[in-house]
Order: sequence, then structure tokens, then C-alpha cells
Amino acid sequence: MLLQLTDLSDEPLHSQLSRQVRAKILAGDLEDGESLPSIRGLARQARVSVITVQRAYEDLEREGLIVARRGKGFFVRAMGEEAKGQLARERFSDALRPVVLEGRAEGLDDRTMSTIFNAVLDPDSSDGEKS
Amino acid sequence: MSPNSTADAPTLSLRGVSKHYDDFDLGPIDLELEPGMVLAFVGPNGAGKTTTLHSTMGLVRPDNGVIEVCGRVNDTNRPDWKQDVGFVGEIQGHYQSWTVEQNLRFIERFYRNFDRVRAEALAKRFGLRLAKRVGELSRGGKAKLALVAALAHSPRLLLLDEPTAGLDPVVRAEVLDVLWEFLEDGERSILYSTHVLSDISRLADEIAFLRDGRVVRRDAKDALTDAWRRLSFRYAGELPALGTARRHRRSGDEHELVTPDGSSSVAMLRELGAERIQEVRMTIDEIAVEILREGHHVASD
Repeated sequence: MLLQLTDLSDEPLHSQLSRQVRAKILAGDLEDGESLPSIRGLARQARVSVITVQRAYEDLEREGLIVARRGKGFFVRAMGEEAKGQLARERFSDALRPVVLEGRAEGLDDRTMSTIFNAVLDPDSSDGEKS
Repeated sequence: MSPNSTADAPTLSLRGVSKHYDDFDLGPIDLELEPGMVLAFVGPNGAGKTTTLHSTMGLVRPDNGVIEVCGRVNDTNRPDWKQDVGFVGEIQGHYQSWTVEQNLRFIERFYRNFDRVRAEALAKRFGLRLAKRVGELSRGGKAKLALVAALAHSPRLLLLDEPTAGLDPVVRAEVLDVLWEFLEDGERSILYSTHVLSDISRLADEIAFLRDGRVVRRDAKDALTDAWRRLSFRYAGELPALGTARRHRRSGDEHELVTPDGSSSVAMLRELGAERIQEVRMTIDEIAVEILREGHHVASD
């Protein structure tokens, strides 16, 4: 499992780790029941400390995305496509909410924001503000 | 692992270790290190880092306390525990007129698990020439030899005192790679004394802060970087004391401060009605400086 970690980000290493593993699970790159790298193996491979990987795995376990099996390591929890989609939708709207609030605070109306949102989704269409 | 040492015992245990000098008191120090863990040992010069490592190695005899390596007391009369330790420090008893290879052959006799193939492979990775006389090695070359000698018997505990001083960035990276490999089986641990935390900001699990001979704090590295913040905000009135926040600076209505508990400081500032609160994360080096400064309190203004 290849992960891209950087020290130049504002995001802590453990959340960079959990975010990237979560994305692989929700996008189906990691299949239900698939085993995850051992904590030590991933620590060495990603060049982070053991506690950092532990923390990322614990967060994913708490979210119900992975399960620990005693003595066997961590596995992708079989949660089904519907639940994965639901979780991805929830996470997306949680991430969007503060952006929308900030936009409003800076004087954007909802229609403008919606136009910008569509332009971001499809940068090739000339519908947006930029030509 | 050597016989008689215990697999699940802490790789290092110091209990009530103290040592009195005319101008300095070490301890009492209590410190434990579990297998698989990396503990960074930081503190200003003279805080007692080296004395602690030397006490563990039996180079300094503490006045009080017990030191155990993998469950065995570090008794210099019964030195079998030394099979489980590798040490890199300023004092290295290598023979200056001998070559690197001759020194390694000599060290080999003292360690049952010494692996000559591994030693030579490490020397090659670090770019250390076996045929060179130790007296002719640069500071970096001596540091490389110390690392090879400390790792060649695959000890369970590695004590490193500023091991990368004098090494160029490429060799430093190689050393870190070797340390990650060393840790991989989960049975070995590293106590890494340094004042350049950025070197091991990713390797270290925990950080112990040493000041005036005492361990003043020990924290999980991620807990520190998650909690500490540098905050900037606008506030017109006189700013009241904000808990543990420190290093307050002000220019007109603009303020800046550093806090060990970002979320509660931000909550307090919101309560006060501060505006445009911005928070930035701090590097582990910046956080260490703040923690080590705590002892030398100057008026914060």
C-alpha cells in the first residue's frame, strides 16, 4: 500500500495516513476483508513512528472501517457498498459545511456559491466566473 | 536476544537513579522503555542526557537507583547484559592506530551475536572504508564506525547520543533507514538523545524532556503536535491571562501567542470576543523549545 505523506502539510501525519487509507477503502481499492499492512510494516514503509500508525488505525477502527483481529492484524470491515457510499456522502457534506459558512460570511449568496461549485466540478465548461 | 534476558521486560528501566556532582545533580530519574518504541531524549546541554546514558552503560556509577537492560541489572562485574545494548556516544574506545576493520574484528570477540557480514554491509551503506585507520577518520567517519559497531550484534536496546552529529544529509537519511529496519521486528527499542528533534520527528514515538537532571515531561509526539498551536487574532481591550498560553505579543489590536492547548485557548478567545482567530500548527522543534523554556520563566510580554 503506497501512501503519500508530507511534513509540509498542516495536516498531522496520523490523519494524512487515516485519510488515505479511508479513501482507498471507500473507493473500493481495498476490498472487504482485505488485510492491511502490519503497524510496524507500515511504519517502516511510510517512515513514521509506530504510534502514528497505531493512532491512524485506531481512528479507522472507531469509524467502523477496519477491524482488529487478535494476533492477526487489521482487516477492512465488510460493510457493503451502500454503507460506504453513505459514509462518503456524510464526510463530503461535513467537509463542505464550513466552506459554505465561510462563503456566506464573506458575502456570497447561495446561488453564486452553487454556480462556483458547478464550475469547480467541471472546470472545462465556461459556465463559471472565469472564461 | 541473549540468554537470560526476558522478551517482554522493558528494554530499559531506570528506577530512582541519581548521581551527585559538585556542580550538578542528576535525578532521581525514573524511565522505562517498552520493546518496539523510540524515545527521543531532549534537553539543553548539561541537562543530564549523557550522564543518564553513561549510567546505563556502566560508565558512570549512580549513587542510588537501579538500572535494568532487558530485565537484567547493569552490573559491571557481570556484563552479560551488554550483549543486549548498542551504544553510540562521544566516548568510543576504538584503537586510533588500527583500521576500521581491525577494530570491528576486535569488537566481534565480545559479542555472541556479532554479525561480520552485517557489519561490513552497514559500513558500505554508510560509505565507511574498512581499510582506513580510525585516527585518520573525520568526525563523521568516527560517527559511522560507532553506529556500525553498535548495530552489528543486533542489540535489543540502542542508546544513541547525538549519533548523526557530523554526518552529511545523505548519510543521515541512510542512518534513519537503518534505524527503521532495526525496529521492524518490534522487539527492539531506541533511546535517542539529541537537541535536533527534526532529525527524528518522524521516527520518535515519544519525547522525554530533561532539564536540570530531571525528566520534566514525557509525551507522545503526536499528542504534542496535535495540541500545541500558535494563534493570532484581533482584540481591542486589555487581554486577560489565558490559562497556559504564553509568549504573548501585541501590535495595536493584533495579538499573537503560543498555547499548549489550542482548542481550549481558541474557545476562550471566542468567549472574549476576539476576532479573526487564526491557528497554525507548530513543529516538534518549536514545541520542544517552548517546553524547555518553561523552567526559565521570564515575564511574558
